[in-house]
Amino acid sequence: MAPAIVLDGLTKSFGEQRGVCDVSLEVTPGQVFGFLGPNGAGKSTTIRLMLGLYRPTSGTALVLGHDARQAPVELLRRIGYLPGELNLPGRMTGREIVNLFAAARKITDSRLRHELVDRFRLDLDRPVRMLSKGNRQKIGLLLAFQHRPELLVLDEPTSGLDPLLQDEFACLVRDTVAEGRTVFLSSHDLDEVQRLVHQLAIIRDGKVVVTDTVAGLRESSARVLELRFPGHVDPAEFAVQPGVRVRSSDGDRLVLSLAGAVAPVLALAARRGAVDIVARPADLDELFRSYYDDRGGERIHDVG
Amino acid sequence: MSAEVMRLDLRLRRRMVLGCAIGIGVYAFLIVALYPAFKDDASLDALSQGSPTLAALFGASGSLTSVEGWLNANLYANFVPLVSLLLTIGYGAAAIAGQDEDGILGLTATLPISRRHILIQKTITLGLLALVVPGTTLACLVAGPNFQLTPDWSSTILTTLGTALLALDFGLLALSVGALTESRGTALGVASTAAAGAYLISSLAPAVNWVHSIRWTSPFYWAVGNDQLTQGLGLGAAAALVIVGGALCTAAAVGFERLDVH
Repeated sequence: MAPAIVLDGLTKSFGEQRGVCDVSLEVTPGQVFGFLGPNGAGKSTTIRLMLGLYRPTSGTALVLGHDARQAPVELLRRIGYLPGELNLPGRMTGREIVNLFAAARKITDSRLRHELVDRFRLDLDRPVRMLSKGNRQKIGLLLAFQHRPELLVLDEPTSGLDPLLQDEFACLVRDTVAEGRTVFLSSHDLDEVQRLVHQLAIIRDGKVVVTDTVAGLRESSARVLELRFPGHVDPAEFAVQPGVRVRSSDGDRLVLSLAGAVAPVLALAARRGAVDIVARPADLDELFRSYYDDRGGERIHDVG
Repeated sequence: MSAEVMRLDLRLRRRMVLGCAIGIGVYAFLIVALYPAFKDDASLDALSQGSPTLAALFGASGSLTSVEGWLNANLYANFVPLVSLLLTIGYGAAAIAGQDEDGILGLTATLPISRRHILIQKTITLGLLALVVPGTTLACLVAGPNFQLTPDWSSTILTTLGTALLALDFGLLALSVGALTESRGTALGVASTAAAGAYLISSLAPAVNWVHSIRWTSPFYWAVGNDQLTQGLGLGAAAALVIVGGALCTAAAVGFERLDVH
């Protein structure tokens, strides 16, 4: 099956200002793709390029088989979009806005709309300027989902939603991919990403620094081994083992990060008479933060 | 073609449109209703003949007590085009650049409507807004015969059309500058400055010699500055207004196609 989205060397510069540089990734249909990065990393710029809102400086974005640069009507009909900074006309009511967008999309079956209104407990009868950010966000989600698009492009979708509605949103996304539709979701909420996404990419300073599955990322990231010995042990012996980094040592206690095979380390620990061992799985939060903070610009791992 | 972009934009300008229509309607009706009180006032004509430059600054020239002179001095040489421009320049600056700055254009541009059709709908909206003030004024003039004020109807209708075309052109100027620069402020500034310059050229032309020689450069002169209430809107003037509008539409289309929508 052809990828839902193929970005190839996508670059956008705004004069002297950085946009995004050489962004390449593929999104498998029927999955949730997480696009992560700190604020200002280039997530929204990439999304606008995918939707044809921005003209790329170079590179291509193929979305559902269409060149996004042309933003053809046929493509826009098949996409639901929630912008990162949702601005709705303040004097209009939610109902006026939803009806207008439904008419523009020629939606004749309003059952899904009513279902979504119930699901998100939406109040559509007040002017938008009277609504909280969370309630405005719910209208934005309704606009994105109400025509049952094949591809949903959601920029920071849970911004402003309370925890219960975040759970409801997660259910909606799971239902969506269960129907074979695709969700491209940008976020800096790591919990949300771990809960929802199949594949992910991390962008930092306008460049993609990693693309992988959540499981793959977890496998390739370092586990933490905490060892205790009957007496003092030399940490340098462990530091020379492949994939090992000594995080701390305290006489008879050693904490290691281990990215490679575990057998050589266990063998060495056994020879030194280790009396206790605690192993912790990879901490994805820590891993994400390391990409956000330290390792940007370096393409670490790419499974396409 | 769907009309949702038009519906949205008209909804967003509803209060402004109603305010302008009611305001100019009340004013125009008062001008019509007051005509019997001034039509025999010789001092008014003496004023315009004694201080032609001052009168010209307010858009008045020639007799102020004739039907055409009264309507020209009080409506068509100043208030009607200026309030029309207020509506169209305001909308022109908001329709692309302003909505982009407000973050609304991003939602519209991801609807299944091509940019070309979005622009067509915005241009039609501009055309409708350009008709509001001249149309309301014309509607008020229908009451004129009850107040001893009966203009030449064909010339008045053509002047109404000319005023609407004038407002449309300056609105399109704001629209195209906004699309090309992505700045509502620049669009408002450029269109307002151009309108002020054009107004001054047209209104001062009867009183200042060197301005008279360049009056043909002013769209105000083409639409309302050449005794249109008596002679009607000339074919050349109408063609000039349409050609300028077409050129500005093209510029807006080029700018909008290249625009990075936020």
